[in-house]
Amino acid sequence: MANVAFGQYYPASSFTHKCDPRTKILFLIGFIVAIFMAKNFYALGACALVFTVVACFSKIPFKSLLKSVKAVLILLVFTVVFNLFFQKEGEVVFEWEFIKLTKEGLYATAFLAVRLFLLVLTSSLLTLTTTPVSLTDGLESLLTPLKWIKFPVHELALVMSIALRFIPILTDETARIMNAQKARGADFENGKLTERIKAVVPILIPLLVSAFRRADELGDAMDARCYSGSTNRTKYKKLTYTWRDLIAGLLLTMLIVAVIVLKAYFPVII
Amino acid sequence: MEAIKFENVYFSYEPTSSEPFYDGQDGRQAFALNGIDFSVREGEFVAVLGHNGSGKSTLARLVNGLLSPTRGEIRVFGMPTSEENLFEIRKTVGIVFQNPDNQMVASIVEDDVAFGPENVGVEREEIGRRIDFALSSVGMEKFRTSMPTRLSGGQKQRIAIAGVLALKPRVMILDESTAMLDPRGRKEVMDVVLRLNKEEKITVLLITHFPEEAMLADRAIVMDHGKIVKQGAPKNVLLSGDVENYGLKMPISVRTCRVLRKDGVPVPDCLNATELALSLKKLLKSGGRYAMNEFNFWPYPSQTVYNKEDVAGGEIICKGLSYAYNESSPFETHALKGVDLRVPSGSFFGIIGHTGSGKSTFVQHLNGLIKLPTAQKKYKQKKGVKQSVDQTLLRVDGFDLTDKSTDFKALRAKVGMVFQYPEQQLFAETVFEDVAFGLRNFKPETSESEIEMCVREAIEKVGLEYEKVKNVSPFELSGGQKRRVAIAGVIVTKPEILVLDEPAAGLDPRGKEEIMSLLHDLKNSWCKTVIIVSHDMDEIAENCDRAAVFSDGKVLIEAETQELFGSAKALKDAGLGLSFTAQVLYELSNLGLYLKAPLKVCEFAKAVACAYNMQTEGGAGKWLT
Repeated sequence: MANVAFGQYYPASSFTHKCDPRTKILFLIGFIVAIFMAKNFYALGACALVFTVVACFSKIPFKSLLKSVKAVLILLVFTVVFNLFFQKEGEVVFEWEFIKLTKEGLYATAFLAVRLFLLVLTSSLLTLTTTPVSLTDGLESLLTPLKWIKFPVHELALVMSIALRFIPILTDETARIMNAQKARGADFENGKLTERIKAVVPILIPLLVSAFRRADELGDAMDARCYSGSTNRTKYKKLTYTWRDLIAGLLLTMLIVAVIVLKAYFPVII
Repeated sequence: MEAIKFENVYFSYEPTSSEPFYDGQDGRQAFALNGIDFSVREGEFVAVLGHNGSGKSTLARLVNGLLSPTRGEIRVFGMPTSEENLFEIRKTVGIVFQNPDNQMVASIVEDDVAFGPENVGVEREEIGRRIDFALSSVGMEKFRTSMPTRLSGGQKQRIAIAGVLALKPRVMILDESTAMLDPRGRKEVMDVVLRLNKEEKITVLLITHFPEEAMLADRAIVMDHGKIVKQGAPKNVLLSGDVENYGLKMPISVRTCRVLRKDGVPVPDCLNATELALSLKKLLKSGGRYAMNEFNFWPYPSQTVYNKEDVAGGEIICKGLSYAYNESSPFETHALKGVDLRVPSGSFFGIIGHTGSGKSTFVQHLNGLIKLPTAQKKYKQKKGVKQSVDQTLLRVDGFDLTDKSTDFKALRAKVGMVFQYPEQQLFAETVFEDVAFGLRNFKPETSESEIEMCVREAIEKVGLEYEKVKNVSPFELSGGQKRRVAIAGVIVTKPEILVLDEPAAGLDPRGKEEIMSLLHDLKNSWCKTVIIVSHDMDEIAENCDRAAVFSDGKVLIEAETQELFGSAKALKDAGLGLSFTAQVLYELSNLGLYLKAPLKVCEFAKAVACAYNMQTEGGAGKWLT
């Protein structure tokens, strides 16, 4: 269906939703730095606290947040378990055959798990509260200084914008072509791997043909509307910082200061 | 002042050929335009008509400089369309294309409207004012921050017009911009275009297949084989008999008047239903033996009640069917809210409704593309608990679609489905392979010679020459031929029920007529039941014997076509119109003449002629009721 926004965006009106996308991107970067600077549970606790505050202000149901973790759960578990068995130094708590668990190992693993968990949650909070469109706008604005080194910021942003525009259209089209071929007896669910790969051809070819036709028509439409690259071009959309962004900035600064202080006063775990 | 001037313009898509010629052999033309001379005054509204491939879209692209002429000269407000003027010309001439999806760059309406002004370096504040102006000109102010994917076709096309308007053009070209829209969307767009022409004094060049739209213009131009063959006032051009030779059609109102005259009813050429009703009222004192005893234009027709569960071959029974997209997510939408419908075996059935009324969702249930929850693999029936979903009943041609043990592959072989723009699903290297695809899937054990026989039969059935097309790539065929091949690919398994979603969409009038007669032919030979989804009321009245109106996920009315169009109010409630003939009968009833006539144009004319002849022969009063 056409009216499904793709990606994770969760529509709501909240403090977090209304923040400038640039603030949110920079906040995420700052937060990741803070997480990696945190070397003990107190500092990590401070990070978790800040995350909880931001998440609460976003009005996003906890369930939706957890859903995003589900996607990377296997990776998370794998990393944690791996870490658990390879920490061989320190006080032994459990030993059987070649498996040896140490106290330090357990601490470190728990720490890593919390860290990764927070990392995934915060990143998905960004995509849950920001539409792909404003993310693109934010990125374009943040990358603008790169124009100095002849980096094609405008072209990149336009490519991203067109991609975003056409993803739902092409998703719909794929569904339609699949249905049409299914109605002609094509089977995409059963059969051997080779058969399934072969079954993709009747979808892929019409999709490619259509994508090229669309590209051609879009090119004409852009030409007809005087598009001639980034030279002499103005920009209508302007992102502006508000008081919300100031608060977010203060929160991040406080977090980083707190992490540094806590790191200095309490023992380091990792 | 002349806004556009063509002087002896030739254009070829193949830059090598220099001499204009028309190769009748393979139907291909080296020159898309063959010596075009015409001009458009500033502020004029000109319609360009022509069948597919007549060169009218090439004409549009030449004006805007997207193409440049092989020979001859084109001037826009005196500027020749050369490289150095290109930027100025594109600012002056805006084009709105056919597919609304393929001309938007941004995912937010205002960003897309801003695209043009941004390109020409307009100041930020001024862009804001232009967005206000452009969106209010097309009546879309409320959608400033919407996403185009959530808009209807007509709304999207109005945004595309706004995107062009933001450049403040003096000329606007609409290149079949209404071809992909439903009647409501078409009206929205045409209203905007007319207003822009009358109030903003924008010169309009409208390229279209629809004679009704061309009637709104100041001047009409007919093109055929890259040449202008007729031009003049739309009334003169479209009402002269020979437009039909160029693959065009007269407006349905005029066609109806002509049939009436042929049957002996002396009516003049009327341009709309009200005019025709008035002249008929003068001729007919009463409806004669076709008079209706009572006024039955208002009540909803009675709903057919049915309870039987056994289904005849080719029959469809559906009760209490509901469906929601993205269930239990913030984007949940209920597409079907309890559909009750019976499609009798042997009918040519019409499904009418606006975009979003649930008709496409319903149709996809019929061959199990959308499976009911109880028919899905993962469904497990709880022991001893009769579930509420079991109340739903959906039987198609003896298959129970609520049961997961149903053989869905066999069902799909029985129920052929042709989607909108089916030519877009073609994929194989040759026409033969594409048509054989379904057959090989459904009956893998079929021998090659049998496959060849079936494919030959299917291709010949759709009116193509088997020997000529079998080894051709489907991508090399013309639009209408591609659609035929796609239909052949569905009917190759000889389905008993054939469902078609907008089978005639986007074709020119001649192509539309050919597809419809193909469907009748199929119904008389291979398929028991044919179901078409359509917005075109005249198409429904002319072809279907029964029809159902979908509105907001439910069946509003299901009746014989005759009875269905009798309930003008019910259709109006659903925001739908009447077929032309029904409109005439309705207008007549408003004038106090209650006539009951069949709705197919030729039968309608016969009935009216009969009423007319009886009262002239038998003397006035004899047939009065």
